[in-house]
Amino acid sequence: MRLPARFSPELLRHVPRKPATVMYPFVPVEAPEGFRGKHEFDIEKCVGCGLCARDCPSGAIEMVPDERTKGKKRPVIHLDRCLFCAQCEESCPRGAIKLTKVYEMAGYKREEMVVTAP
Amino acid sequence: MSEERMFRIPVGPQHPALKEPINFTFIVDGERVVDVKPRIGYNHRGIEKLMESKTYIQGLYLIERICGICSAAHQGCYAQNIEEAAGIEAPPRGVYLRTLIWELERIHSHLLWVGVAYHEIGFDTLFMYVWRDRERVMDILEMISGNRVNYAMNTIGGVRRDVTPEIVDNALKALDYLEERTKYYKKVTEEDDSILARTVNVGILKTEDAKRLCAVGPTARASGLKVDVRRDDPYGAYDELDFDVVVYDTCDLTARVLVRIDEVLESIKMCRQILQNLPSGPVRVKFKRKVPEGESISKVEAPRGEDLHYVKANGTEKPERYKVRAPTLANIPSVCEMLKGGYIADIPIVFAGIDPCIACTDRMLFIDVNTERKWMWTEEELRMYARKWYKKHLKEVVRERWKC
Amino acid sequence: MEVLELILLILATVLFPGVVFCTYYALFLEWVDRKFFARLQNRVGPWITGPKGILQPIADIIKLLAKEDITPNGVDRAGFVGAPFFALTLALFSLMFVPIASTSGILSFKGDLLIVLFISTVFGIIIIFAGYVSASRFSIVGTARAGLQFVGYEIPLFVSAIIPALIARSLTLKEIVEWQIAHYPLILCFPAMIAFGIFIVCSLAKLEKLPFDIPEAETEIVAGWATEFSGKKLALFRLSTDLKMLLLAGLATALFLGGPAPWGFTLPADLNPYLAALIYSIWFVIKTIIVVLIMSTLKAAFARYRIDQALRGFWRYLTPLSLAILILTPIVAYHFYW
Repeated sequence: MRLPARFSPELLRHVPRKPATVMYPFVPVEAPEGFRGKHEFDIEKCVGCGLCARDCPSGAIEMVPDERTKGKKRPVIHLDRCLFCAQCEESCPRGAIKLTKVYEMAGYKREEMVVTAP
Repeated sequence: MSEERMFRIPVGPQHPALKEPINFTFIVDGERVVDVKPRIGYNHRGIEKLMESKTYIQGLYLIERICGICSAAHQGCYAQNIEEAAGIEAPPRGVYLRTLIWELERIHSHLLWVGVAYHEIGFDTLFMYVWRDRERVMDILEMISGNRVNYAMNTIGGVRRDVTPEIVDNALKALDYLEERTKYYKKVTEEDDSILARTVNVGILKTEDAKRLCAVGPTARASGLKVDVRRDDPYGAYDELDFDVVVYDTCDLTARVLVRIDEVLESIKMCRQILQNLPSGPVRVKFKRKVPEGESISKVEAPRGEDLHYVKANGTEKPERYKVRAPTLANIPSVCEMLKGGYIADIPIVFAGIDPCIACTDRMLFIDVNTERKWMWTEEELRMYARKWYKKHLKEVVRERWKC
Repeated sequence: MEVLELILLILATVLFPGVVFCTYYALFLEWVDRKFFARLQNRVGPWITGPKGILQPIADIIKLLAKEDITPNGVDRAGFVGAPFFALTLALFSLMFVPIASTSGILSFKGDLLIVLFISTVFGIIIIFAGYVSASRFSIVGTARAGLQFVGYEIPLFVSAIIPALIARSLTLKEIVEWQIAHYPLILCFPAMIAFGIFIVCSLAKLEKLPFDIPEAETEIVAGWATEFSGKKLALFRLSTDLKMLLLAGLATALFLGGPAPWGFTLPADLNPYLAALIYSIWFVIKTIIVVLIMSTLKAAFARYRIDQALRGFWRYLTPLSLAILILTPIVAYHFYW
């Protein structure tokens, strides 16, 4: 049946209800388990094979010389180029790269937008 | 009145009603639309060319970014395509999960569209409610895949993640809520006077026109054409699922809204079937990075219609040619037909009626702005042109690139 | 004594209940409208500027005032600059007639209801004028729609506003309010309650709010007649829209809800005039907020109509209905109210 303002009962039901808005920057929101956020890199596990850099679709991973790994190289992940597909996590044979739940990673400089070993 | 003397209204590429970079020139007589001239190509990003320089693994994430809303449809289609070319087969659990993501994506895409449709006719309250409820399906997708929009769930040879029993429980609960709400929205759409006033007999696309202009997806199904890749050429797990192809034959906007709402209900039904009958076993098989020489085609019913992918492999890690035909391109002629003879006030909702996605559409059409000449290039011509252009402009390009 | 009265009059015009009070109160009403509209849509609405976002409308106006003011090529300069000022001045001027702090407005004379209604018609003409001089495609389509809608809603609006005057047998706002204080608010009378409904619906059309925001439908024609206005001029238009909302809510209060007089008891005649003014303005605020809440609810419950559908609604239903009750009112009033 065609009614004008068919919708009004639902409307009035919402008057006493709490708004559904997520007050995000003021109230923190936690991402669910398995979220693909900022990377965590463990230099102890890295062998410097460079598989992560080879598979990275956006070229966000750069291999720089490092004496600590077997391949004498370690990855530097540029977050400003990363598209968070987690392919590096999947490609890494030793599990040295892990994506965490952190999603707040804005920075003022490009140098801040980097994940690597110290 | 001659056409020159009629009033022209440019709509787009930047316009509050069309959130997509497309340009329409409407020739209007008072409030009536006499003629429509579409112009596409504002969003050409060279993805197909770029695909040729990416390995098959990297291509997964590039192809996903053709479109934000139907990312899983494109990626799943790509994975299916490469699997066929490489001669591997995804295990049943992987196929089921892939289908689950496709259907969840359809729910989220259609609910998004229903919200947008309400917004276009100025019903902002329902728009807010629908988008609030859509958050539930986004949460399921985030829980399963780790991201709300670009799921990155498919890989060549299956899917990348498995679901846990808790996720299945949560998803089933959210689906119950969504089903109840969707049924309510269907009721409102069928009964509210101010919605019906704006949708009944608006943007008519007759069945024979839909056939002639090759409409696809919900647009075609709302015009009484029973076309659905899921039924006509089953892929994924669709031949094992029980679902109906929703067809309405009123050919107007009400039909287009109702087709999508009903498809959401069908998708919820399918998601339940998948979640309750998940086969056990691995979710993926290994892919050996190289694809033997050959060609392959794959079709997927994206939320907006038939999505077609073609690959030509040459035995290396990278494709020689990759071609995508996204559904919106097929629907542009139909939308021009729908707009003619309507009111200015109906432009936004009719255009939104095909659920346009210009990011998907813009690929290989070239328009010379000065002469309005349009032409298509073959791959070879494009390559020759690129080579010539680079020879001429290389220095400038390099200078430009290194300036910053 | 003369001097003191003059000072009081100037204070009344400028401060309370004149320009300053009306401006801030109109902005407050916009906040009420936005907040309640958001509530109905399950959102929060403005909530950062000031407690619960109460300063947001003021902040919007200040922001617009500080923005670059563009006058496009090809516009009629004088008209383009003049239109917003006209709109604002007329809105403020017409508010002088609305009874806020006493049973009469700051200005009050015999037949002032007609003047107020006349000025409210001029608003429509200013909108058409503003769209016409701005020489943009969207403005012209918006103007055409504004003009069409204007001829639709003016007649029922006028007729529904005249019905209380018929029952109270006076065209003076003060006397209509006093009749209601002596008897009962007119919304309780039979034909006047229908007139109240028509008045609210036509007010929505006049304010260009949903479902009648056709002349500035953002999803169709950008901002309609207001497309080319920016910066200070847009701020003035925004402010004048808020003032118009206050005017229409105030008129609805004065004509149907018993004006600023409290419900349920009458103020003693020998009450301190300042205290009386305070009580009156508090009741005025309460009643106008009620009217605005009704408008917000209506806004949230409808989709935007197309211009032809809106016109059909006005001409086919509201105009005949209002004329019918116009004929009915004297008959009913003769038997029951006079």
